[in-house]
Amino acid sequence: MSDSRALDALLDTIIPPSADGRLPGAGAAGLAAYIDDVARNAPELTPVLELGLAALDARAGGRGAEDFASLDPDARAEVLEGLSPEQPAFLPLLSFHVYAGYYQDPQVARALGTRSAPFPDGYEVEPNDLSLLDPVRERAPLYRDV
Amino acid sequence: MPDEPVDVLIVGAGAAGAAFAWSLADTRMKIVCLEQGDWMSPADYPSTRSDWELRRFGDYGLSPNSRGRSEDYPVNDSESPIAVSNFNAVGGSTILYAAHFPRFRPGDFRVRTLDGVADDWPISYADLEPYYDENAQMMGVAGLAGDPAYPPKEVPLPPVALGRLGHTLARGFNKLGWHWWPSDSAIATVPHNGRAACVNLGPCLTGCAQGAKASTDVTYWPAAIRRGVELRTRCRVREITVNAQGMADGVVYYDAEGGECRQRAEIVVLACNGVGTPRVLLNSTSAQFPDGLANRSGGVGRNLMFHPYAMVTGQFPEPLEGYKGPQGCCIMSQEFYETDASRGFVRGYSFEITRGNGPVSTALQGLGTGDIPWGAGHHEGFDKSFDRTAGMVVICEDLPEPDNRVTIDPELVDSDGIPAPKVTYALSENSLKMLDHAVERGAEVLRAAGATETSAISPLPPAGWHLMGTARMGRDPEASVVNEWGRSHDVKNLFVIDGSLFVTAAAVNPTNTIQALALYVADAIKSNLANLFD
Repeated sequence: MSDSRALDALLDTIIPPSADGRLPGAGAAGLAAYIDDVARNAPELTPVLELGLAALDARAGGRGAEDFASLDPDARAEVLEGLSPEQPAFLPLLSFHVYAGYYQDPQVARALGTRSAPFPDGYEVEPNDLSLLDPVRERAPLYRDV
Repeated sequence: MPDEPVDVLIVGAGAAGAAFAWSLADTRMKIVCLEQGDWMSPADYPSTRSDWELRRFGDYGLSPNSRGRSEDYPVNDSESPIAVSNFNAVGGSTILYAAHFPRFRPGDFRVRTLDGVADDWPISYADLEPYYDENAQMMGVAGLAGDPAYPPKEVPLPPVALGRLGHTLARGFNKLGWHWWPSDSAIATVPHNGRAACVNLGPCLTGCAQGAKASTDVTYWPAAIRRGVELRTRCRVREITVNAQGMADGVVYYDAEGGECRQRAEIVVLACNGVGTPRVLLNSTSAQFPDGLANRSGGVGRNLMFHPYAMVTGQFPEPLEGYKGPQGCCIMSQEFYETDASRGFVRGYSFEITRGNGPVSTALQGLGTGDIPWGAGHHEGFDKSFDRTAGMVVICEDLPEPDNRVTIDPELVDSDGIPAPKVTYALSENSLKMLDHAVERGAEVLRAAGATETSAISPLPPAGWHLMGTARMGRDPEASVVNEWGRSHDVKNLFVIDGSLFVTAAAVNPTNTIQALALYVADAIKSNLANLFD
């Protein structure tokens, strides 16, 4: 995207940092590069994003701000919300890719306790408690012998 | 030379073709297998990359119609509420399967005798038992002996990790006094036959990068090739040809470049699954077999059985670590497996507990439902959803019906121009009642385990994993396609060894039984070599 400041602001509006500071906002997590990659492989996305970003800046201007990125977080959310009737495809399409990219991100995965790519390390799992089977073991055969 | 006849030509290198090739290699006959797919590279499987969850919707998707892989053939399943799922590669659909590996139960082979519906199989559990045992060693089955739902059986490897999710659900089953047991799983829980042990990656259904899951490219095939079997990949069979005596004499196929080739053979064996096998037979028309090869009964393609599935899901207040451990294998229940007339349907179903979603799937699902909004409420919504979901699939016995069938689509073709299959299928009243019962009982056990909310999808549309019944075995040539050891009634050197053979479907995953049947047919051929075509 041409204007990374605008895109970062938009990404942080879609997924803001968590209140407890555990998780970064999508902009701060560097999702702009992921969105750029997606747009390279799906060229139909680029005009939707560019039109959307331009409209956000225009709407911010209407509020007397220099651009969308200059607004405070609450105002950004209001402006973004207000864009939906005019450009209904913009937010759902962008959100899909932002959600998908954000939760693949290694720093986000670490904060969640997961692995961005499960292989090769996998996971430790608590040991099996097979004593739970005691009541099942006491049952008569459940199958019909023929 | 390609035009030299081979002794045995197998079409399809999946679950059945691999087991059969390995077993028959004992005979030192010249055996060739043609596979339309290629060898997979486990290092490239999705779980090695951060986009692993998304690739389930791309090149590792369930449907050949949307995966975009050149080795696939299209399937017209627009007249079926259940979409066909398969995979074309060395290993076939075992590349993507969950490796849930239960056996059929003895009564599953005697449905007519026990319940007065469908038909009995011409063989019994006792006939297949030694092959189940042999398959357990070759595939490496993990589980636990002593399950009261089965006769005593060999389970060579310790059970998969139940995890917090499995233990939570098990307590729910215990609260209701219902049967459950660790799932028989074709997963190496300890190192087995050169395969590394499972490390609980999670996404078994997009290929196992660890090599712990028993797809046949890592189990039977290396052993079969060491025994001298030749496996040719990217070879897509168009039809089986016949000689003047009405015997199969080989196949016509297309190689990777689309070049038309011929391979002659003394024996032809079909292992293309319950959709692919009738497709090849119905495409093999001739003056002697105008309605398709081995189809004088008119039965080829008929009696298609899926297992009608439902998915029942519960929301739990605490994290379940559900993203850790084999995705489809945990615990199962056969509490409602046998017929109980008071329920209003015949036969029954299994519950199979499945693991939870990863973060990307959770987030995208929440975006769709609105539970994980953008903006200020995002993290709260995600925290409520992620790792707090557990559930089960319900797998219902499907009874054979002649009008549920595979035919040849009049227009659709694959990339080599071979006519593609069409599936016409409707759920029976019996299946619909069974699904309703199972969804209610599933929600009940989830609540007993601590779920605060439950939801269900029934039937589950993309669940056409199990393709069965379309070239059924039997003793009566009027009512079956092959005899009790897989040989065509009409063409004495033509065999079927895949799920097409099934007379009934049971209410468990079929792969173990498909392979036991393939091993059984291979042994029958060995025993009858002197008069195989009589």
